[in-house]
Amino acid sequence: MEQSKTTLNQQSIIFALIHGATYLPAAWLLKHRVFGQPVSVIIAVVPIITFSIFIFKYIKAFSAMDEVKQRVQFEAVVIGFSLIAMLLMSLFLLSLCDISNPLWFGYAYLVCYCWLFYFVGWLISKRKYGV
Amino acid sequence: MKNTIKVERAKKNWTQADLAKHIGISRQGLNSIETGKFIPSTLLALRMAKVFNTTVEILFQLDDIEE
Repeated sequence: MEQSKTTLNQQSIIFALIHGATYLPAAWLLKHRVFGQPVSVIIAVVPIITFSIFIFKYIKAFSAMDEVKQRVQFEAVVIGFSLIAMLLMSLFLLSLCDISNPLWFGYAYLVCYCWLFYFVGWLISKRKYGV
Repeated sequence: MKNTIKVERAKKNWTQADLAKHIGISRQGLNSIETGKFIPSTLLALRMAKVFNTTVEILFQLDDIEE
């Protein structure tokens, strides 16, 4: 039982890393327009598939966690989501004032901010429950 | 909410890891419950009471302020 919980946790981390390993090269290839449009579309789909698998594994791992760890993950996602919603809202309102910096707040960076905010929430929640 | 998990654990001479294994949670999770940082679900509280052969009311009590 404990072994399978560990395996599920490890699987979700492994698929998060696989997603990272497909996302970064895909972003680089698409940015530098190495291939034609049909191939580029296929390349763009690959990180989406790996992310879907990661989400599936994460949800499976979440349901196998004990209730304290579930609470930590839940709060991490809530804090992460709230912060990213706040950032998007601020960026939208600032863009209406003609203040925007796509160099720092483009779509690619927003993905990084999502992860960053999730980890901020995770650390806050871990400290709160002393896990 | 206060609890007597530590006392009950000492009676059985169990470590946190032993109790955690008996009730099916992680040792860190149990530590969080024992120190009052996390309030367990009814199911977990009942499981804990069962392994200690006691009642949930003995294991968990409301603080004086909460009462």
